[in-house]
Amino acid sequence: MASDEQPESRENSQRRRRVTSSLGDVSICLQRCSFTDMAVDITLLFKASVKTVKTRNKAIGIGLDSPKDDIFKRSRPKIGFSPKAKEVITNITKLKDFLLQHRKDYVSAGSLISSDLTRMTDNERDQIDQDAQIFMRTCSEAIRQLRNEAVKQVSSAQVKEHRGAVLDLIEVYLRGVCKLYSEQRAIRVKRMVDKKRLSRLAPEHHSRVGKTPEPMEEKTVKEESSEKSVSEVPNNTLNLWEEGRVEDELSPEEIQMFEQENQRLVSEMNSLVDEVRQIEGKVVEISRLQEIFAEKVLHQETEIDSIHQLVVGATENVKEGNEDIREAIKNNAGFRVWILFFLVMCSFSLLFLDWYDS
Amino acid sequence: MAASVREKQTVALKRMLNFNAPPLKNSAAEPVWKVLIYDRFGQDIISPLLTVKELRDMGITLHLLLHSDRDPIPEVPAIFFVMPTEENIDRICQDLRNQLYESYYMNFISAISRSKLEDIASAALAANAVTQVTKVYDQYLNFITLEDDMFTLCHQNKELISTTDTDMEAIMDTIVDSLFCFFVTLGAVPIIRCPRGNAAEMVAVKLDKKLRENLRDARNSLFTGDNMAAGQFSFQRPLFVLADRNVDMATPLHHTWTYQALIHDVLDYQLNRVVMEEGAGGDPSPAGARPKKKNRKTYDLTGADRFWQKHKGSPFPEVAESGLEGEDEGAISMLSDNTAKLTSAVSSLPELLEKKRLIDLHTNVATAVLDHIKSRKLDVYFEYEEKLMSKSTLDKSLLDIISDPDAGTPEDKMRLFLIYYITAPQVPSEYKTALLDAGCDLSPLNYIKQWKAFTKMAATPANYGNSGVKPMVMNSGSQLVMEGVKNLVLKQHETDDYRYFDPKMLRGSESSIPRNKNPFQEAIVFVVGGGNYIEYQNLVDYAKFKQGKKVVYGCSELSNAGQFIKQLSQLGQK
Repeated sequence: MASDEQPESRENSQRRRRVTSSLGDVSICLQRCSFTDMAVDITLLFKASVKTVKTRNKAIGIGLDSPKDDIFKRSRPKIGFSPKAKEVITNITKLKDFLLQHRKDYVSAGSLISSDLTRMTDNERDQIDQDAQIFMRTCSEAIRQLRNEAVKQVSSAQVKEHRGAVLDLIEVYLRGVCKLYSEQRAIRVKRMVDKKRLSRLAPEHHSRVGKTPEPMEEKTVKEESSEKSVSEVPNNTLNLWEEGRVEDELSPEEIQMFEQENQRLVSEMNSLVDEVRQIEGKVVEISRLQEIFAEKVLHQETEIDSIHQLVVGATENVKEGNEDIREAIKNNAGFRVWILFFLVMCSFSLLFLDWYDS
Repeated sequence: MAASVREKQTVALKRMLNFNAPPLKNSAAEPVWKVLIYDRFGQDIISPLLTVKELRDMGITLHLLLHSDRDPIPEVPAIFFVMPTEENIDRICQDLRNQLYESYYMNFISAISRSKLEDIASAALAANAVTQVTKVYDQYLNFITLEDDMFTLCHQNKELISTTDTDMEAIMDTIVDSLFCFFVTLGAVPIIRCPRGNAAEMVAVKLDKKLRENLRDARNSLFTGDNMAAGQFSFQRPLFVLADRNVDMATPLHHTWTYQALIHDVLDYQLNRVVMEEGAGGDPSPAGARPKKKNRKTYDLTGADRFWQKHKGSPFPEVAESGLEGEDEGAISMLSDNTAKLTSAVSSLPELLEKKRLIDLHTNVATAVLDHIKSRKLDVYFEYEEKLMSKSTLDKSLLDIISDPDAGTPEDKMRLFLIYYITAPQVPSEYKTALLDAGCDLSPLNYIKQWKAFTKMAATPANYGNSGVKPMVMNSGSQLVMEGVKNLVLKQHETDDYRYFDPKMLRGSESSIPRNKNPFQEAIVFVVGGGNYIEYQNLVDYAKFKQGKKVVYGCSELSNAGQFIKQLSQLGQK
């Protein structure tokens, strides 16, 4: 009896210990309810129940699965869609951080005479532009590739939909980062244009500076088109800087070439502006004409309505007329019959009188 | 309640979808993708609040029903939003065993019991997936918010009627649980008033007990802490009035005349979604599934639709004439201004398209409603019932309307007759033959007879008179509810018949506790049994009439007249 009691009491005490420990866990985790959420975090309660179940299983003697499946499970996700997608995201994040980090320097107006160390040279700015564009292009390439892969891979419909949605999310993210970049760029271009406008007094100096805003103005912030200007500008500025930091020491041929290019670009811009204005005028005319048409059509509608009414009235009248004619014919016929009858009666009466008299 | 219940629930859902962390305001944050898995209850809760596009923006790539066939999607965290029932728990354990996803975030709509938690724990242990279960939460969101000031509890299983005691207990427990979740989300402990002697009283007693238990446990009460500081700008507690459906059986049968109530009555309108068929009839399409037939159109009537918000309570003719024309004119004027300026036209094009879509939507819906009205002569019914309920003189005899073959379906005639039966003191019995000729089913009548006898015994006269609000507004049927609210909110005279519960009080007896003498600023009216849009509209109009008071309407289920008649006939056949 004693030996029986012993394991029993041990089990009981074990059980009691388990219960008190779990109660302790429960109280701890209940204390950590996050009130601001209005929802209760019972993760710790869950972990406590895991512990109780483990100890209960041990007591009853259920063996736990050996963790040998772990290795197989872990090795499955190594190759696959998700790590690649995550890589693309980390790249885009790197680009975003880089842009944000240098944003202040990039955008800073900085006068030309200041020799502040943190001020970025135009060269560096263009370098950043170029790098950022190449980067963005590679990222969108990677996304496209992933999409093709996902389509080709044979998997369930749900996984396909999931992967498609994941790629959409990544694209939206990339677009957001591109927007950051283009905002930055737009500010820079605007600053250049303002600078140019303000300082029209020194033509040669600003004909050079004018190069940079001109190519930038005419293109929208699309990646393919701005590539041209980016490659142009570094070349120009590179040449200029190579020749020395003083603006007046440009060779006359270069000045002439630049001036010619300048003129060409100005004329191009002007023609574009004219065309746009013409188109605008035409569209306004078209809209006005359309308004007139609409008005006329409405007017005609009322007229057609009145005509319709008249026609309906006319048909009614004609119908009535037909009825009247039919009646008249009937009457006529009836009248004739009566006349005939009367004449026949008269003749018969005459004959009768004649016969009677003679 | 500085923020409405709907906003609070939406915020809670968004936080849950963000892995239970408050969502960041940073717009260019890294996308994190996840899969959302819900059961039917979760679906009903989420669908009026978040659109599919909003779910996508939050990073949800797939949203699936719990009990559908789901394929394993590796390396993806999954957020579960389910009720803690046996079958859901079993399915979750099965998912854990099949290793469908990388990590699991469990969110239970109402509190889960310890034993079920242990079931999940053992399944996780068996599948060696304990580390994958990242977070487990009790969300306390077991109610459906349809409008800023309207909520309902259960949307499933509306056809089940049972009168056994155990079923009644179970139903009341679910109602109490949902109401408890509602108050937790609201973050306020109300003062409860309820009439005596019916289901409302039983619910009130249970709710009071549950709130009291929770408050007493000061360590883990859900109502203390930052909740109160953040959410309570008004230092008053709301008033919670419980009403029972038995008090007024005529209003659910009433033919209505306001836009939203008409849509609910005549078309298939569930969870803020209208389904109109061009061909054969069908079920409402659940969120996330594509409609099966090509000629069935679904429209979502949401809070973002300004026309809907402005006109959902106005009488139908007003909506048809002034509303739609006004919208049309607005759209046309926008168009004519913009022909002069190209760039502004391009930028306001999406706005114009959206307006056009809304106008088309409302035109279609209004046309469908109008067709129904014309074919069933609903205006005749409406006028007649108004007269019946306000006890004014009737110019047409009831027999004429019932025997008129093209004035409405047999159901309409039954409704009219039931309202007459309820409101008239004595009813001659020659109508039975006329009703049978018209093809009506007489079983609801049996139940109403029983109910009338019962209420006569309880000696509470049903008062259907007007209260001085404009006669164009239908307020006759829910007068008693409004009387209760009016009196309690203004404290003009104590409705002593009503019991008083204050869960914050420590002592349980009710006779000697000092009652809160201040007039209440917010009231929540809850109907145990079927609720409908007519009562909601009346309450909204009433709240507008009394400046500064906020009224929220809730019901345990939202049934239109057809469903109500079905329930009555089921009860009558027993």
